[in-house]
Amino acid sequence: MLIENVLGAAEALFTLQTMGLMVLGVAAGLIAGAIPGFTITMAIVLTLPFTYAMEPIQGLATMLGVFVGGLSGGLMAGILTGIPGTPSSVATTFDGFPMARKGRPGLALGIGVWSSFFGGVISAVLLMTLAPQLARVGLEFGPWDFFALVLFALTITASLSGDNLVKGLIAGAMGLLVATVGSDEINGVERFSFGFEPLEQGFSFLPVLVGLFAFSQLLSDVQDPVRARQPLMPPGAKAVRIEHAKAIREVLSRWGNLLRSSLIGVFTGILPAAGGSISNILAYDQAKKASKRPQDFGTGIPDGIIAPEAANNATAGGALITMMALGIPGDIVTAIMLGALLIHDVIPSPTFITDSPTLAYGIFMAFFFANFIMLGLQAVCLRAFVMVTRMRMYVLTGVILAYCGIGIFALNNIVFDMWTLLIFGVLGLAMKVLGFPLAPMILGVVLGHIAELNLNRALSTSDDLSLFFTRPWALFFLILAAYSSVFPWFQKDRGKKRWTLWFLPAMSISMAPPLFLMGGVVRPVIGGLLLAVGAYLLWGHARNGWRLKPVAEHDVHLEET
Amino acid sequence: MGRIDRDVVIAVVLVVFTAVFYGATYGIRKTVYGTVGSEVWPRAILIALGTLCLIYLINSWRDRHETQGPRRGGGLRGWFSTYRNALLCFVMYALFLATLDYLGMLIGGILFVFLLLNLLGGWSPRRLAIHGAIAVSTMGAMWAVFTFGLRVFLPEGEILRIW
Repeated sequence: MLIENVLGAAEALFTLQTMGLMVLGVAAGLIAGAIPGFTITMAIVLTLPFTYAMEPIQGLATMLGVFVGGLSGGLMAGILTGIPGTPSSVATTFDGFPMARKGRPGLALGIGVWSSFFGGVISAVLLMTLAPQLARVGLEFGPWDFFALVLFALTITASLSGDNLVKGLIAGAMGLLVATVGSDEINGVERFSFGFEPLEQGFSFLPVLVGLFAFSQLLSDVQDPVRARQPLMPPGAKAVRIEHAKAIREVLSRWGNLLRSSLIGVFTGILPAAGGSISNILAYDQAKKASKRPQDFGTGIPDGIIAPEAANNATAGGALITMMALGIPGDIVTAIMLGALLIHDVIPSPTFITDSPTLAYGIFMAFFFANFIMLGLQAVCLRAFVMVTRMRMYVLTGVILAYCGIGIFALNNIVFDMWTLLIFGVLGLAMKVLGFPLAPMILGVVLGHIAELNLNRALSTSDDLSLFFTRPWALFFLILAAYSSVFPWFQKDRGKKRWTLWFLPAMSISMAPPLFLMGGVVRPVIGGLLLAVGAYLLWGHARNGWRLKPVAEHDVHLEET
Repeated sequence: MGRIDRDVVIAVVLVVFTAVFYGATYGIRKTVYGTVGSEVWPRAILIALGTLCLIYLINSWRDRHETQGPRRGGGLRGWFSTYRNALLCFVMYALFLATLDYLGMLIGGILFVFLLLNLLGGWSPRRLAIHGAIAVSTMGAMWAVFTFGLRVFLPEGEILRIW
């Protein structure tokens, strides 16, 4: 069965046209990822209109190429100029730039490229093995569980999106509200159209997304008139020869760090809404903690490049696991991919992998091979990147704004979609200026329909609201949602206030009861392990006399990848 | 307006917005079919949103003296100068959309890119030439890709139709 699926997917994927599109996608991603202020999400958004006319597998393979290329492209700018190309490569600059300044830019780039490659390949393997298993678990979910999962996704996005949890939650609720405008999917009743005809069908999902994200991002980029007229990067970036052989030896000799960082990346990606911007910092901190010479971090050592680069590429696989297995986007990029799938009438859900094996395995394989293409194109794109850095931001902005308009019009051939783009662009910029994070709102728009549909199904099946607390998976996600709501305070007070010593043990212990309720053998064993971990953490704190320890200096915040 | 003053105003606007939308839920048609009415989910969201906005209002009001930052100079003029480029983009884009039926995507797009680049980047003769070349080449290429490559019927506008 597996071989059949793989062969079927290979037949669809390995055509000259699809491979050519993937090469173009990876090249575009590498260059876009290397430009500071031009995020991977923006590159994916710009690719999307070209995929409307493609077969679903072609469109997704192209976008995956952009995704993988973008994650790896950020390291070029970070290492050569010290300015990270994307938030996913912030930690790469901590050691990559010092190594380049010490006269080893080729080695630094090589280590970054090969760590990205190995991180991507490890996560691709995990994607292929874990996604079908998670989908099987997803088949157990009832509407109560899905509804609780959406709540968890929204609370964790809000809590990771900035210092102000309330603003994050308001943004999430606004997103859910936007999704209710127009004809109700279940009863076909019009809502919040206020007699305005174009609103009767509601807002299309993609114009809202592109407006909130890309339009507002472009306007932020040109807000400073002086910087808008300067080249994208200060002079200093120049193409260098990548030292592949030495880099491979350096990376493989530190396989422990590589594996740990890749796993951190994958599991951060699986977490709804957490992306590469978080995983690269987490992996760097863990590598530093695990190192015998932590004082060397920041001076230009290979471990400091391996950890963030392996983690940020591995995050992509993790995010795809959640999207493909549960239909819940792992981050904004996968939210857009979800939109692309919906355009082709493919609805990701726990049955997606079994119902559309060719497409599902095609996505697995495309992600796997995109990493190889990235490896081959890195040197070519390095030269292109050096040329692109001479461009002015205002030129890019003007051209891309027009392009966004054409792309969005092409979606439904409706001019109102372009107005939607403008309105949500204004809203997105206003929200940014006022300190409201955009990620929860985008997730709210994407997940609103799923939440409503499942709430409706749940209440239609039974009016017993206690089912949200008595069904094991629903309870599990609600417990996670509750802890994720407290997370911003935990992050703020960690190492300063004593209550934070209870946070992780309490979370670990509270997650165990739902797992016991699930029955079987594996889950109660995991529940038992969680109880043991919680007890061990408490014992450790008690042994230290409940003393507070200083914490790592890098805070974890979600930024658009 | 100071930072917290601004937060209080935003919170009040959000509370009013929520109240208006909550009122609008009573205008949602009730059906005789379906177990759950179409107004249930929006009301649940609006109750949550309203509660969050009230918390935001209380927090902003309580903290207004602690974190009130220095006032940004220049008043309305300062505000315009800060957001000049963003406003230009919005206005130009709105004009592009408003004239789409007449100018079409190709001519309107070229004009939009050309004028916006000049407004953002300057009007020197050299720049005018560069911006003109960029506008014609990029919009021409995009229009060709979508029209001939992707077979999308982009609005052609009255001017092109006359020709």
